[in-house]
Amino acid sequence: MAKILEGPAMKLFNKWGIPVPNYVVIMDPDRLAQLGEANKWLRESKLVVKAHEAIGGRFKLGLVKLGLNLDGAVQAAKEMIGREIGTSVVRQVIVAEMLDHDEEYYLSIAGNRDGTELLLSNKGGVDIEDNWDTVKHLFIPLDETPSIERITEAALDAGFIGEVAERVAKIASRLILCFDNEDAQSIEINPLVIRKSDMRFAALDAVMNVDWDARFRHADWDFKPVSEIGRPFTEAEQQIMDIDARIKGSVKLVEVPGGNIALLTAGGGASVFYSDAVVARGGSIANYAEYSGDPPDWAVEALTVTICRLPNIKHIIVGGAIANFTDVKATFNGIINGFRESKSKGYLENVKIWVRRGGPNENLGLAAMKKLQEEGFDIHVYDRSMPMTDIVDLALNS
Amino acid sequence: MSILANRDTRAVIIGGVAGLNAAKRMAQFDFLINRPLTVQAFVYPPEEGQQKEIYRGGELNNVTVYSSLNKAVEENPEINTALIYIGASRAYQSAKEALDSKGIKLVTMITEGVPEKDAKRLRKYALEKGKIFNGPSSIGIMSAGECRLGVIGGEYKNLKLCNLYRPGSFGVITKSGGLSNEAMWLCAQNGDGITSAVAIGGDSYPGTDFVTYLNMFENDPDTKAVVIVGEVGGTLEEEAAEWLDKEIRRIKVIASIGGTCQDVLPQGMKFGHAGAKEGKKGLGSARSKINALRAAGAVVPETFGGLSKAIKQVYQELLKSGVIKPEAELDEKLLPTLPPSVQEVMKQGEVIVEPLIRTTISDDRGEEPRYVGYAASELCDKGYGIEDVIALLWNKKLPTREESEIIKRIIMISADHGPAVSGAFGSIIAACAGIDLPQAVSAGMTMIGPRFGGAVTNAGKYFKYGVKEYPNDIPGFLNWMKQNVGPVPGIGHRVKSLKNPDKRVKYLVEYVKGKTTLHTPCLDYALEVEKITTSKKDNLILNVDGTIGCILVDLDFPEYSLNGFFVLARTIGMIGHWIDQNNQNARLIRLYDYLINYAVKEEREVPEKR
Repeated sequence: MAKILEGPAMKLFNKWGIPVPNYVVIMDPDRLAQLGEANKWLRESKLVVKAHEAIGGRFKLGLVKLGLNLDGAVQAAKEMIGREIGTSVVRQVIVAEMLDHDEEYYLSIAGNRDGTELLLSNKGGVDIEDNWDTVKHLFIPLDETPSIERITEAALDAGFIGEVAERVAKIASRLILCFDNEDAQSIEINPLVIRKSDMRFAALDAVMNVDWDARFRHADWDFKPVSEIGRPFTEAEQQIMDIDARIKGSVKLVEVPGGNIALLTAGGGASVFYSDAVVARGGSIANYAEYSGDPPDWAVEALTVTICRLPNIKHIIVGGAIANFTDVKATFNGIINGFRESKSKGYLENVKIWVRRGGPNENLGLAAMKKLQEEGFDIHVYDRSMPMTDIVDLALNS
Repeated sequence: MSILANRDTRAVIIGGVAGLNAAKRMAQFDFLINRPLTVQAFVYPPEEGQQKEIYRGGELNNVTVYSSLNKAVEENPEINTALIYIGASRAYQSAKEALDSKGIKLVTMITEGVPEKDAKRLRKYALEKGKIFNGPSSIGIMSAGECRLGVIGGEYKNLKLCNLYRPGSFGVITKSGGLSNEAMWLCAQNGDGITSAVAIGGDSYPGTDFVTYLNMFENDPDTKAVVIVGEVGGTLEEEAAEWLDKEIRRIKVIASIGGTCQDVLPQGMKFGHAGAKEGKKGLGSARSKINALRAAGAVVPETFGGLSKAIKQVYQELLKSGVIKPEAELDEKLLPTLPPSVQEVMKQGEVIVEPLIRTTISDDRGEEPRYVGYAASELCDKGYGIEDVIALLWNKKLPTREESEIIKRIIMISADHGPAVSGAFGSIIAACAGIDLPQAVSAGMTMIGPRFGGAVTNAGKYFKYGVKEYPNDIPGFLNWMKQNVGPVPGIGHRVKSLKNPDKRVKYLVEYVKGKTTLHTPCLDYALEVEKITTSKKDNLILNVDGTIGCILVDLDFPEYSLNGFFVLARTIGMIGHWIDQNNQNARLIRLYDYLINYAVKEEREVPEKR
């Protein structure tokens, strides 16, 4: 799943003939003034300025400004760019034409196992959740293209009338094309409006997810997916992602501020169960982490060092299932080196470490981990005979 | 009994090195249960025609790599299963071809990062064809005592620990690969092991779902209970609950669902597998799945750790009710042990292997090379130089500071002698012909011999002989040389003479004798010889080869090593000439006609062949 920002989504809409208002994405407010000299619409239309970042609740944060002229837009851009929101900084804004309109429509499409589901409603806008019963569904089986008549029927069913229904159907058919050809996972247009001045349609807002695994067949994808964790990535997360991109296997990290139980867990499946176990036993996790696919020891070491630096942690859970092919000895070597380095720099004081693991070279790996006791680590090591997540129970009861 | 894979399964692996590794692991299992090799062929166009070596225990098998699936199945018609390991961009096409192949009934995809749309299409295609498409991102399928597809089950030792050499009573279906192995272990530890275990992969749209396999397990009389490991996202677990609820099922279902933590995490914060994403309004949440499964009668412990107890409990109930008959445990000692590699046996001291070569100078087995025991970095740190490394590797001794200085000077003085000499000229001609550095330098190197630079060894050797056999009898030595060797190596020069001495010789002799305390019997002897020979002819002086040879003998280098100094020193020069020619983009050299005397026959007609 890869969420993309409004700008790249609008670009893909343009590519597939889905009408969008005029817009520009800028990093420098002075550039906006220059663009104003070149583009009539910037001088003559009412404008909306939005922070072009993966930040939730932009409206409440004052990161959306409406009804501005060009000077106002430049001013708004100046105020937004560089603003710090939590751990992130606003770097880009999108400036778009405001379109005078009456009705707001809703149009979306999302994949499921057997095909895709097209959703239409003539009661779009911010209240769409409240009007969910007005939304009509059209199921499109995999690799089939519904006729324009079939879509029009669905539009009529959703309350669109006459020519508007036909025109909505046409936009919907292009949306289906865009969805299919861009390996999208979901696209939501809310609202879709008709501009009063010339009665032309335009998608005012776009939320789009694309299948990042399909990027090998999209040479023109010049964007990067934005964080899916509801906030921009932290520096530590970014560092681990950079390592992840370079290695065989993978290392992952998500920080969860406020928690005191750190996870240094193996495997995409097992790691989630460890998080679950902490929560189920009333603890709070300080992070989610995962290494899998037999990653090199230095990558696991880097992950370990990062996790040891998480603030206020009391326990580290070095958990994992019985690996199929990840070498326990080699990956544990990385963890041990990371622990030693962290300890020498003053971390890990009063931190208890709990280990449970199995897999290739498990005996050697576990023995090496156990030897850390001699170096003054408060470490508790268990083999496969300990039920996987029960080290969490031990940690929380200690 | 089992599902999906059994003793009749014969597989083709589509993909490169990951597939080869899997084939090796699969052959270990074949060995454990004494079945024929599962993998019959590889398909990987870049390595077409190669044979891959696969050991089934101690038995070496060669498995052919084909360029296409068609060729592979044509030559191995018994193939009925395909394993896809090839990269995500080609996985779809490969899997589709496999589904098209008549004899192939099961296609399981290990490849990760496959686009969702491709997986959806493959699922649909397989359904239309009445075949099974398992995966993507599946670690594999294991049928205990029958067949292993993929690396599922891990290392050999684990196969035994999980009782995979004989069937048990539990089926296993998981999304996660690591947890399939864990679940198999739990079934062995707390029950009697598994019939089959299937990893369906953690992608959003796996090709086959829990219900498909639950039905198969329900129809497999040996399977009495099934362990499901699911996770947040999608509706496959809910469908499994529906299946369980729909009618009375023979098999018991035990489940664990991951992702309950996501209820309490900051909004939007999700992690885990690609498919582990909650939908709108809590659809597909771990909690809703747990509730649905519990309502349908499945045993769902609160944490994964609770699975141990749950499995044990179900197993005890099934034993009590007589559904499972307890079987005597096999003595593990009866199971075959994997033949160890030569290295492993040697480590245990149970075999003697005669070494192929012997070395006494250098050891690369540690963190860094050691020269005659000394770590290279430590030599650097303690101020030793390249001349000391030469002495170590050529003569196994660390020279004194004085000796090092002499060695250094010998190399500095011999490094180059202009472009005209055979060696440098050879390298230059090669450089001009566009030949690469190592070959061009070798071209110069081939010139080193009796007439060019190769006299150092013989000079050292014979002067040393003289010192020993004719210590105070130079005429006797010269006579012996004349009768047995010929001209004395190291004596004589084409252009230099007593009146026009070789500056290099003068310098070296003065340095060694004047500025060092080196005891120089061989050099002294050669200088005495020179006195006699120059009295006969002016240019029969001690030349640079002779001087170097004698000094090196006095430094106690073995005589057959002496030419090495010239080779080493002149390599520096030849590399320099090659670089120089390349810097100047030198053109191809061709001799002018006027530099050649064509001393040949007149033009004439070729006679008819007789």
